[in-house]
Amino acid sequence: MAYAWQDKLEKLDNFRWKIPQSYKPGMKVPGLIYASEKLLTGIINDKAPEQVANVAFLPGIVKYSLAMPDIHWGYGFSIGGVAATDPENGGVIAPGGIGYDICCGVRLVRSDLTLDELKPRLETLVNALFNNIPSGVGSSGDIKASAKEEEEIFLKGAAWAVKKGYGVKEDLDFTEDRGSIEGADPSGVSKRAYERGRDQSGTLGSGNHFLEVQVIDEIYDEEKADIFSLFKGQITMMIHSGSRGLGYQICDDYVKGMISCLDKYNINVPDRQLACAPLNSPEGKSYLGAMKCAANYAWLNRQCLMHLARNAFEKVFNKSWNSLGLKLVYDVAHNIAKMEKHKVDGKERLLCVHRKGATRAFPPGHPELPEAYKKTGQPVIIPGDMGTFSYVLAGTEGSMRETFGSTCHGAGRCLSRSGAVKVCAGRSIDKELFNKSGIIVRAKTRTTLAEEAPEAYKDVGEVVDVVHGAGLSKKVCRMRPLGVIKG
Amino acid sequence: MKPFELVDHTADVGIKAHGSTLTELFENAARGMFAVIAGEKYKAQGSKIEKKIEINENKDNLEEILVSWLSELLDIFNREKIYLDNFRILSLNNNGIKAETSGVNIDLYQSDLYTEIKAVTFHNLKIEEDIEGFSCTIIFDV
Repeated sequence: MAYAWQDKLEKLDNFRWKIPQSYKPGMKVPGLIYASEKLLTGIINDKAPEQVANVAFLPGIVKYSLAMPDIHWGYGFSIGGVAATDPENGGVIAPGGIGYDICCGVRLVRSDLTLDELKPRLETLVNALFNNIPSGVGSSGDIKASAKEEEEIFLKGAAWAVKKGYGVKEDLDFTEDRGSIEGADPSGVSKRAYERGRDQSGTLGSGNHFLEVQVIDEIYDEEKADIFSLFKGQITMMIHSGSRGLGYQICDDYVKGMISCLDKYNINVPDRQLACAPLNSPEGKSYLGAMKCAANYAWLNRQCLMHLARNAFEKVFNKSWNSLGLKLVYDVAHNIAKMEKHKVDGKERLLCVHRKGATRAFPPGHPELPEAYKKTGQPVIIPGDMGTFSYVLAGTEGSMRETFGSTCHGAGRCLSRSGAVKVCAGRSIDKELFNKSGIIVRAKTRTTLAEEAPEAYKDVGEVVDVVHGAGLSKKVCRMRPLGVIKG
Repeated sequence: MKPFELVDHTADVGIKAHGSTLTELFENAARGMFAVIAGEKYKAQGSKIEKKIEINENKDNLEEILVSWLSELLDIFNREKIYLDNFRILSLNNNGIKAETSGVNIDLYQSDLYTEIKAVTFHNLKIEEDIEGFSCTIIFDV
C-alpha cells in the first residue's frame, strides 16, 4: 500500500512535516505531522496522513489538523491525532475524534521497593496480580454497582471509588481532572450503555490494555524526577485501561446519531466516521455530557484496578500498600475531548481539544496541575510495548504554543494484528521475553501475546525523542518492564 | 467466491464480505464478524438459542443499515452472551432488516475468545457491486 506522500509533505524542520491545505479541496486548515525522517518512512506507507487531511475538513478547526509521532491508521481520525475546534466559529465535536474507548489512559504508581527487594518475589507478584485483576474479552469484575450507583459513578468518577474505600483522597489529587470531569450528564447515556457499564468496573479488558510492573533504569532530568519522587532502581507499576463497554456504546450511539447531523448542519466530511455536530447544538451538547460520564467511569475503573493491584502487593509482601509506598504519580487520559483555554493569535479562546491517542502535556505553572507539580509541568506517561521501555515526560510551554497542550501517547503500532500474528507464527512470545529479558508475561490468550508482540510497535524511544526534540514535552525517566499482565 | 476474508488494518481489524445478493452479503458480513471475535475455526457447542431481529430506521442508506445490523448482533453477543453462528435474513431494504438468527450461550470470561470488538465503524464504508455480486469492507474497532 504505497502512498505517494513524499512529494506532498512539506518539510518544515527535522521534526515537523506539513500537509498543505491545497492537498485536498475542503481542508479548512493545513495538516502538521510531528515525526523524524525514520518514523516518517513508516507513516507515509500507512493511510494515516490521508486521515490527518480528512480531519482538516471539520468545521471550526483551529490552526492545524495535528498528528503526533506515534500516528497510525485508525478509523475517521488517525490514532495520534489532535484537533481543536472553536465553538464560537461553528466548531464541532466528533465522537470519532475521541474514539470508542472514551478516556482510555494510563496511570503510574510508584513504590518504595527497589529491584533487589522485588526480584525474589517477582513471579509470585505477577501471578497474584493476574489472579486479582479480571481481564480478557468482556471480563466482569467483583466491584459491582447498582443502577443508582452507576449514575453516581458517571457524575463522580474516581471519587466514588475513594468513597467506597478503593483508594484515598490523595489519589484524586494526582489524577487528570481529579478523576471526575465537570458537566457529566447521564440523561444522554442510553439504556444499553448503562447495562454494558454495570459489571465492568475494576476490569482491565483485552487487546492492548495491560498492567505492568517496571523498574526505572534511566533518569534524564534529576530535578523533575525528584519532585515526582522517582529514582533509578525504583519499582513502578503502570495501568492501561479505559471505559470498557460503556464508552464503546456511548461512542457507537452518537456516531450513528450524528451521521444525520451532517445533512442537518450542512457539514462536509470525507468519511462518515467523522460524523460530528456543532458544539453549540443540542446533539453536540448531549454527546459532551455523555462522553464525560464515560470519562468519569474510566477514571473510576483505573482507580479500582489500582486498588486491586495494591491488594495483590499487600498479599505478596505482607505489608500495607501505604508502607510499601504505592502512591499514584499521575493518571492521564489519551482518548478524550476537553474544553480548554488556549491562546490563538495572541487571544485566549475556549476550544474543544480532541485528543485521539494523544496525551495532555500542560506546562509548569498551569492552574490545572496539582500543587506538587506546579514547578515541573504535568507528568506525561508514555507506555511502550511489553518488550522495551516506557517513559515519563513533563509538559512544556512548547505544547501550549503548538499542539494545544498535547503530546504523543505511546509507541504506536506499525504492524496490523494479523500481520503480528503471522510474524510470530510458531513462536512463544512469553518464553522469548523471559529468556531474552527476564520479563514475566501472563495473558488470557496466546493470540493476544502475538498481536501485542514488541515487533508490532514502533520504537517508542524514537517517538519520545521526537516530542522531546520538538519541545512538546521533556524526558524525565525511562522504565523497563519486569512483569506484564495482558487482557 | 469466499464468503468473507480478513483485511489488514494497522490498529484495528477488518473484513471484506462478499455475496451474490445483498442478503447474502449481509449474512456473510455477520459470519465474518463472529470469525473475527473467535477465530475462523471456532465452533460453538451447546443448545441453540433463537433470536429474531427487526431493525426499522429512517436512514434510506444501505450501508448504515449494514452497520446497524452488525451492531445489533454484537450487542446480543455482548449483553446476552450469545455467540451467534446462524443467520437468515427475511427481508432487507434501505430502511430496515428482518432476520432470524441463532447461537449458543457462552461464558465470555471462561472462554478462550481472542478479539473484543468494541464497535462496527463507518470508516470508508461502501457497498460495491460488480459482475459477481456485492462486496463491502468493514473495519471493526478492537
